[in-house]
Formats: sequence, C-alpha cells, structure tokens
Amino acid sequence: MSAIIVKDLVKRYGRFTAVRDVSFEVAPGQVTALLGPNGAGKTTTIEILEGFLAPTAGTVQVLGVNPRSGGRAWRARIGLVLQATSLDAQLTVTEALMMFGTLYPKPRRIAEVLDLIDLAPDARTRIGALSGGQRRRVDLGLAIIGQPEMLFLDEPTTGLDPEARRRLWSVIENLTAAGTTVLLTTHYLDEAQHLASRVIVLADGHVAADATPDELRAAGGVPVISFRLPPGIPSMPSALAQHVANDTLTMPSGNVATDLAMLVGWARENDVDLTGLEVGPPSLEDAYLALTREGELSHV
Amino acid sequence: MSEIALPSHGSVLVSQVRYQLTLLMRNPRAIAAGLILPGALLALEKGNAQHITMTQAAPRIAGLVAFSAAAIALFTHTLGLVTAREEGVLRRWHASPLPAWAYFAGRILATMLVTAAAGLILVLVAMGMTGVHPTAHAVVGLLAADALGALALAAAGTAITALIPSVQSAQPILMLVYIPLVVLSGAFGGMASSLPHWLNTAVTYLPVQPVIDAGSRALLHGSGAIMSGHDLAVLIGWIAGGLLVSFWVFAWDPHRPAHARQAEARTTARSA
Repeated sequence: MSAIIVKDLVKRYGRFTAVRDVSFEVAPGQVTALLGPNGAGKTTTIEILEGFLAPTAGTVQVLGVNPRSGGRAWRARIGLVLQATSLDAQLTVTEALMMFGTLYPKPRRIAEVLDLIDLAPDARTRIGALSGGQRRRVDLGLAIIGQPEMLFLDEPTTGLDPEARRRLWSVIENLTAAGTTVLLTTHYLDEAQHLASRVIVLADGHVAADATPDELRAAGGVPVISFRLPPGIPSMPSALAQHVANDTLTMPSGNVATDLAMLVGWARENDVDLTGLEVGPPSLEDAYLALTREGELSHV
Repeated sequence: MSEIALPSHGSVLVSQVRYQLTLLMRNPRAIAAGLILPGALLALEKGNAQHITMTQAAPRIAGLVAFSAAAIALFTHTLGLVTAREEGVLRRWHASPLPAWAYFAGRILATMLVTAAAGLILVLVAMGMTGVHPTAHAVVGLLAADALGALALAAAGTAITALIPSVQSAQPILMLVYIPLVVLSGAFGGMASSLPHWLNTAVTYLPVQPVIDAGSRALLHGSGAIMSGHDLAVLIGWIAGGLLVSFWVFAWDPHRPAHARQAEARTTARSA
C-alpha cells in the first residue's frame, strides 16, 4: 500500500486556486522531492498532507489515514520538520528531545538521536545559544524521536550555509537508509538530486513533471556541449559562434559526434586548448527551469 | 495500521507540567514581574513604619499577591502563548501526538503552581518585613484564592490571544488590560472612594478583586469560608467563559496579516 495517496487534490483560497487537480502516490521507503517556484502550491500540498489544511476537493491519505481525521496514533507515526524553526529557546537540546520523547510509544534513545543529528557535544546547550544549522538539526531530532514511518521535510536546509546543508543531508541519508518514507520540499535542485529518488515538479498548482532526477534531466532536451573560451581566441565558424555568450560556448547538440568533430577541428587548426570541455545532458536546473517557465503540463 | 500503545494521558500531563514549569522558571519576565516587583513594592509600602497590625497588613499583602498573580497568569502566560504561536512552537505541538487539552492543562497548572509559589514567598517576605504572623490556615486560604485567581486569569488570557496578532503588539495590548485591572481592583490600595459607583461595581465582576478580598479575609480570619458567593461565582464565570471562548477562537498557527495573504495571492496569480 502507498504511504501517500493524493487524488485530484484542489485547494482554493477565495478566488485563488493554489493547488489544482494534483494526483500522485508515494511508495513506502521512497524519498520524494516536491519542487516548484514560490506560489507553485508545494507548501499548501505538504500542509494538507500534514493535516494542517483541509482540501477544497479531492482525497488525501497518509499511511492509510485522512490527515484531517488522524488522531494521536496517526500523529505518532509521522514526523515533521516545519518550514521555519520552531523551538523553545530556553530548553537544552536534551530537554527538548526528552520532552517530545514522552509523547511516543517507542521513542528512540536520546543518545541515538544526538548521534544521528550530530549534536552530542551540544546536548546540554540551550537551544537559544545554537547556530541556525544546529537548530535545524534539533528540529530534525524532534521529528525523528518517535521513529516515524513517514517524515515530512519542508525546506529543511533553507538559510543554511553549504557545510550545514551537507551535514543535514547526511543525517537524512542515514534515516532513509533505514527505510523511512520521506517527502521533501526544497528550492535547491542539488538537494533534490542528492537525496531524492523521485522528483515531482509543481508549477502553477499543477504537477508539471513526475520522474526520477535522471529522467527529468534527460527529458530537459538534447545534450549540451559547453566550453569556457580562453581569452584572445581566433574567430569561430558561425555554426559554433552563434552559441557563444559571456565567453562560454553552450551548444545544444542533436548530433554530438558531428558537433564535437567541428569543435575539435577548429581547436586543432587554431591550437586552442580544450581543457574544460564538457558534454552531457542538461542539468536538473535547466530541466526544472524549462518546465516551470514554459508551463509544461504533461507528465514526463 | 499496527497497534501501538500510546503513553497514558496522566503521564503526558505530568511531563507537560514539568516542561511548562521549566519554561516559566527560566523566564526572567515571570520572575521579575511576579516576584521581584511585588516584593520591592512591599518593601516600599512598609517604609519606616516600625510595626504594622494584621488589619493594616492584610489588604496590602493580599493586593500584592493578586498583583503577582496577574503578572504571572495574565501577562506572562498570555505573552508566552502569543510568542509560542508566532514562533511556530504551538504548531509543532499541534502536529505531535500531544492531546490539545494536555497542552493547556499543563500550561495552566504550571502557571497556578508558580503563582502559588510566588504568593508564598511574598507572604514570607511580608512576615519578615512587617512582623505579622498569619496562621498556617490563613496562608493556605490565601494561596488557594491566589491559585483560583490564577486559573481565572490564565483562562481569560488564553482567550485574549485571539485578539493579539503579533508578539510586538502583545505587550501594549496586555499592558492596557493588566495595569488598569490591578490598579482599579485595589492591588495597590483601595481606590473605592475615588471611583464612580458604576466602576466600583464593574470591578467586582473582574477576576482580581475577588482574589484580594478572599486573601484579606483569609489573613484576617484564618479559617472558615474565605470567599463570598459572589466572588466565587465571578471567578468560576471567568474560568468557564475563558476556557469556552478559547475552545472556539484559539489559534495554533502563526497569525498571517492580510497584506501577507494578499502578497501570496499575487505571487500565485503572477505565476499563473
């Protein structure tokens, strides 16, 4: 049975439709990223799944239960990291974990959670004295203290520095390795690529794409040849020159062998060093931008 | 769904009370407004007087105990709730397996315990400063009235949170409620002779004067019924009314101002 079932979901605020006819399912143990620009409907969707909002139309089930009628037993099976940090600054990390641990039937040991969130050295530090990244890890600790089957992560790394993001990723990877189902919303495509096995792109309240990160990249268009041009290069054939912008050749290629042969021939004739030449599918970012800008509505 | 045995309601309530007590005891506002300020006022009132009779001391002690109760159970409790709501702490609790009633019961019980503890400390300070020696029964009676008043004030404060949109606006709004309430109720001495009759009557229906009256009566008489039927009915009315209104209007989620909702709608419209 699917961990999440969303069917024909609609959510309206007055005359505005934030989510329209969204349908998808998430299998148990799967890590799914929900992507989309601001206003795409991803936070509305996740808040409906968490039980905070009621849908206008459609049906939603999380772990076989309608979130709006999910009682204590259902709440004990899910964990949440909300979009903004939400902690009592006066408590220490251990006190907060112990407090939340008392609510669950089989809480993790405090030491285990502290290890998982990499905060054992700060166990007795008051939350108000922690950095933003450390507080976010406490948020995650509170979400996992009850050993949830389903974890909702709403932009868990927004505002964190690169090192803090990487540390949080590694915590999430540890959890997903243990089989926890995760639904993640994020603005960072590298985060989706790194953590998720499936990406659902929302645009204007619709599902614009639903695929693996690699499928999404592959569907983003033809392969791209890119090369940062060294200074003072000789003139190029017009077939190449038309793809140069900001001293960089970015050439979508329908026939990589032919286009590469042309580039290599020009480089050999003019003694240009091709170090840095790259050939590959469009990045996830390119694919995502293409989907969200062009309003592509078909499933990949 | 697999069968799971959730922790009992009793154990959840005990841990909530412990949690809320920890928060209150680490809240400098609760300590300053609920204990230090009334203690300092007590010292100032005593001034240079060498000896004060129980008849003189009882209304002053009861007034400052009620002032302390209002500071903790109305001002600190309400401001703390608004802050927790706006910082998303309440939303996290609401998303957890904690029953909603247990959150409020834990918070209000902890507020009553801290209010009673502050009341006891004030009585001990007053005994040391003024030389009056109330009986144990008198002190218990005073503290019982104090705790009941705290329950009424906390229930009213919980309902008031629906009218407070942000942490920034909480302090001025609560000041406008709290200061007139304690002053007009006579926490710093009787104002009855200088107030219009209608206002004197109105004050008897607010939740501070019954605490002062009952506290004074307890200190003076020591035992027996310390609270009049009218005062008891007023406090019970505030408790029932506050909790009932809270049940209907209390919000767990941060308040989103109208301009933010409009901006969000515009973003959605632009992306369409």
